[in-house]
Amino acid sequence: MALYYDIDDIMMEEELISVVFQVGANGIGLLDPGSETNRIEQGAKVDLPFWLAHELYLRQAVGVQLPAAYNQKTRKEIQADAACVDLKSRCPYFYELGCMIAPLVRDRTIGSFLLYTFVSRYKEILSKAHRTALAAVPKFFPLLTREESHLFEAAHSSMAAFKKWRLGGSRLERASVLGRKRKSIGEMQTPTL
Amino acid sequence: MAGQSDPHLSIFSASEVEFLAEDETMEIVPNMRMDALHMICGDFGPFFPQIATKVPLWLAVTLKKRGKCTIRPPEWMSVEKLTQVLEAERESPREFQPLPFHYVEISRLLFDHARDDIPEIYMVRSLIEDIRDVRFHKVESGLETISARTHAVKLKNLSVMEVNIVRPFIVRALQAFYKHDSPEMIPQPDATGDRRPPVANRGPRRDLRPR
Repeated sequence: MALYYDIDDIMMEEELISVVFQVGANGIGLLDPGSETNRIEQGAKVDLPFWLAHELYLRQAVGVQLPAAYNQKTRKEIQADAACVDLKSRCPYFYELGCMIAPLVRDRTIGSFLLYTFVSRYKEILSKAHRTALAAVPKFFPLLTREESHLFEAAHSSMAAFKKWRLGGSRLERASVLGRKRKSIGEMQTPTL
Repeated sequence: MAGQSDPHLSIFSASEVEFLAEDETMEIVPNMRMDALHMICGDFGPFFPQIATKVPLWLAVTLKKRGKCTIRPPEWMSVEKLTQVLEAERESPREFQPLPFHYVEISRLLFDHARDDIPEIYMVRSLIEDIRDVRFHKVESGLETISARTHAVKLKNLSVMEVNIVRPFIVRALQAFYKHDSPEMIPQPDATGDRRPPVANRGPRRDLRPR
């Protein structure tokens, strides 16, 4: 289960998932913006955040549908060229949500699809992460999901830190307090003198 | 707090690694007379003019800054040795040559503070840069072979700074691979008939170099 204090896990559970209600339910019309009454009919299709969908699924109130990020169309795109697919816009928590949703939709192929996706995109991240210039952000960076961009930044920043160290500069850094001008203190003191 | 390590990225920052490297011993030739120094890490000296003695790098650099000694560059920092190492590095695409564990930091400290004591300093400097580039490229091409079946990476003869650069990336990548290859996510077709523990199914460990 997700870590309670991990902000990424919290955000991941906010992802919307479309579910089909197996039972009619009174008093929750606000979940469905299109409904005119305060009731959700049996068989109605509603987008719910993952945490709510998961709880309702456990109570057998809803059936979870496969999100678009894991459907056949996306899989074809991933197979064609994994590195170019914009996964971030589809689902920023592609891998995490995939792991969570696989048991809910009873799709046993999601696991291997996630692994295949990660392996093929990992090579691209690896080849770019240590090479790119310090300030430059590569073109593919906006396409990365949360986990991939963490991986990229881990490599990028450690390389940047090393390059900064190698180029040298003073080993002793000036405390920010010392940089301030003394003038203001002098002005404060003058009236008393 | 520029020198402090970032807990999320890596265990040491580059300056901390440099600090550790300063405990390596160096040979110096003092030009003054001084009694022995008694430190917690050991006794150094006594110092006599023109008599070589061994001191830690930090002491060598301090004395050098005051013009009290010349530093003898270590044996591996000669042009012939480094040329040999560079050639060997290029010839064996999967093996790292044995170099001192702190070679990146020692060479940088000596380049910064003892440039007049190193013969052919430009040649030495560019050779070390080349060696480091070749080795890092090797690490990267080794990392390309990491797959879901990898659960350990063996990097022999890698220096501390090189490890420090790739550590955050490797750790995250291995964690991600481990998570995505967990038996709950990937249904094993032979899971019912085969009662081996899941760890045994993770395949042989893949080395970055042959043993």
